Amino acid sequence: MRSQAMFFKARVGDKLADPVLQENLGKAKSKFVDARARAVAEYERDEGADFESLREAGRAIRNRTLANLDVWLETFEQKAGERGAQVKYARDGEEICRLVVEIARRHGVTKVVKSKSMLSEEAGLNKALAEAGIQPVETDLGEYILQINDNEPPSHIIAPAFHKSKEEVAELFTRTHGRPKKSGIEEMTREARETLRSHFLSAGMGISGGNFLIAETGSVTLVTNEGNGRMVTTMPKVHVVITGIEKVIPTLEDFATLMRLLPRSATGQHISNYVSVLTGVKRPEDLDGPEHLYFILVDNGRASLLGTEFQEMLRCIRCGACMNHCPVYQTVGGHAYGWVYPGPMGSVLTPLYTGIANALDLPHAATLCGQCSVVCPVKIPLPELLRGLREKQVDMDLRPKSERLALRLWGWVARRPSLYGLAAKLAVRYLNWLAEGRDRIPLLGIAPEWTKGRDFPAPQGRTFRELYAERRRREGR
Amino acid sequence: MQAREDILFRVRAALGRSDRNRHEGETDVQAAFAARAQGPRPQLGADLAARFRHECGVQSSTLDEVAALADVPAAVARYLAERGLPPRAVVWPKYAGLPWAAAGVEAEARAARDEDLVGITGCFCAIAETGTLMTCSAPDTPPSTSLLPETHIAVVPVSRIVAGMEDGWALARAELGELPRAVNFISGPSRTGDIEQTIVIGAHGPYRVHLILVREG
Ligand code: SF4
Repeated sequence: MRSQAMFFKARVGDKLADPVLQENLGKAKSKFVDARARAVAEYERDEGADFESLREAGRAIRNRTLANLDVWLETFEQKAGERGAQVKYARDGEEICRLVVEIARRHGVTKVVKSKSMLSEEAGLNKALAEAGIQPVETDLGEYILQINDNEPPSHIIAPAFHKSKEEVAELFTRTHGRPKKSGIEEMTREARETLRSHFLSAGMGISGGNFLIAETGSVTLVTNEGNGRMVTTMPKVHVVITGIEKVIPTLEDFATLMRLLPRSATGQHISNYVSVLTGVKRPEDLDGPEHLYFILVDNGRASLLGTEFQEMLRCIRCGACMNHCPVYQTVGGHAYGWVYPGPMGSVLTPLYTGIANALDLPHAATLCGQCSVVCPVKIPLPELLRGLREKQVDMDLRPKSERLALRLWGWVARRPSLYGLAAKLAVRYLNWLAEGRDRIPLLGIAPEWTKGRDFPAPQGRTFRELYAERRRREGR
Repeated sequence: MQAREDILFRVRAALGRSDRNRHEGETDVQAAFAARAQGPRPQLGADLAARFRHECGVQSSTLDEVAALADVPAAVARYLAERGLPPRAVVWPKYAGLPWAAAGVEAEARAARDEDLVGITGCFCAIAETGTLMTCSAPDTPPSTSLLPETHIAVVPVSRIVAGMEDGWALARAELGELPRAVNFISGPSRTGDIEQTIVIGAHGPYRVHLILVREG
C-alpha cells in the first residue's frame, strides 16, 4: 500500500468536516476504552494478579528475543522445518507478493481465503493476487466489508471498519449480495457468514498473519473471535503465514503470559474466543488440516530499527490500545494517518518504515498526553519515540524555515533572563488585550492558524516570575 | 535464499554480532528452553471446577453435568430436544463407542462437513482461569467438529480441569511429547464486534457452545 501520510493535514480537515464519520467515531470511541478498564479491574480481583507486573513481564519477553533476534529466528526456522513447514523470507512488499503468487501457482490455486494480516496490507497483496488471476477473499468481517467497498483501506488494526455505520454496511451488503436490505447487525452478520462459508470450503489456499511465532516449537499462533482464523487454517490444503521477523517469542509459557495481556488490552476480553497454536502440516492419518505450510517472514524496514533508539517499537503486539486511548485518533479516525497503521503506533511506524521525510506531520499528530504509553501492554514509550522522531526531523533539516527561525529567536531570548521577563510581561499584556476581559481568545493575531479549531486560553492573574518573586519576599529571603 | 541472507545480515549488523556474543545469544536460547519460566499468574484457589463454571457463563457457554461418560448421550439428546434441534450429530471418533443409539442420537464418527448442524467433541483439558477448552488435533479428534456446525457440544471430564494455560502446556508435554498440528483454545461461541463495535454471537464458527461436565474420571 502506498503511503499517503504526507497529506495528513489536508486529510484531517476533511475528516473533521465529515459529519457521518464524526458520528461513527463518537459512537465507537468509548467502547474499547471502557472494556479495557473493566477487564483490567476484573483481572486484579484474583489474588496475586497485578496487571502492572504482567506488563513488565510482557516487555521482558519481547525484549529477550529482540536482543538476539538472529539466533531466535534461526531456532524458529529449524523447529518449523522439522515439522514440515517451509520458511521463506521477504525483504519488502514486492517480495511478499511474488512469493505468494509463486506458491499459489505451484499448487494450482485460483482462490485464496484470508484472515487478517496487516503485512498483506503493507504489501498491497490483494491487488497483486487479482492481477495474477487469483481471487482473494477477506474473511474477517471488518476486512470483508472494506474489500467489497472497492478495497477501502482499514482504519483500525483490530476493528478495520471502525469508521463505518451499520446503515453503510447494510447498503454495501444489499448492493454486493443482491439480497433484500437488512437492518439488524445480527442479520447482517449471518448474511456475511453464509456468503463466506462457501468461499472457505472452495478456496485452495488460506493466508493468515501471525500474532506470535514460538521458537520452542516452530508454531504460529492466531487469535480471533470470529473463527475465520481457524477456517482459513483448517479447510484449504495450503496455508501461508505472512508475518514480521520481530514476532518470534521463546516458549509456550511466554505465550501464556502474553495472552493475559493481548485480549484485555485489545477488546477488553479475558481471552479471545479462538486461540490457535499451529505446528507443521497435516499428518497422514489426520482427517483435516493443510498439507502444505509456508512461513513468509518479512523485514520491510524492521531490521533498520534494531540497535537504534526506536528498537522498543518492535515489541508492539498490535493490540490497538494506544489508538483506542488517543485523543487525536478518536477525533480524526484512522484514515487520516494515510498508511496501514494509525494512531500513536502508526505515527511512529509510518515514518520509520516509509521514510521520515514522507510523513512529516505524523510525529506531531500527538498531544503527548502520555495515555498511549500508560495502556501499552508491552510498555512502549510512544511519546518519547514521537519526540525522538521530531528531533530527527530537526537534525535532517526537514522543519520549515519559519519554525527554525522562531525557535532560534526563542532560544536567544530565553538565555537572557531579564529580557525574557520583559518579553513575557509584554506578551501577557498583549494577550489580555486580545481577550477583552474574557477568559479565552477566539482569534490569535500572530498565529491565526492555531485558533482555527479551538480557543487560546487567556493568561490568568500574574506571571510565574512575579508570583515567585513575591513569595521570596514574603519568606524574607 | 538471497532475501534470507540479506535480512539476517542486516539483523546481525544492527545487533553488533561477533563470535563471542553469538555464543551468548545461543546460551540465552538454551536457557529459555530449559527454564520455561512462567510469568506472573493469578491464584485461583482450590475449587477449579467452580471457577471454570463461572467463567463459562462469562463466555456465553451453557453447562450441564452428569455422573459418568456413559450418561453423556442422554444429556445430549435432552439438550437437542430442548432446543428443537434434530437428534443427529457428527462426533469425534474418540467418542464413537458411547451408547448414542440407545439415547436416540444418530451419531456419525468422522470429520465435520458443511451440512452438519451439531458437532460433539471432548477436550484435551479445560482451563479454569478463562472457561476455555483446550483441544488437540489427532485422527480421532479432528478440529473441524468444533468449528463448522452451528451447535458445538463438548464433553469435559472434571478431572481434566486445570488452572491456567501453562498447566495445559505441561500436560501436553507430558502426555503427547510434541505438539499436535493444531491446538485450539475455545472460549464460548464465535462472535464479532466488527459492525459498530457491537458484539454479536455467531460469526464463522458455532452459535452455541454447550459443555457437559463429567464427574467421574
Ligand atoms: S504500541 Fe503498544 S498499545 Fe499500541 S498497538 Fe502496539 S502493543 Fe498495543
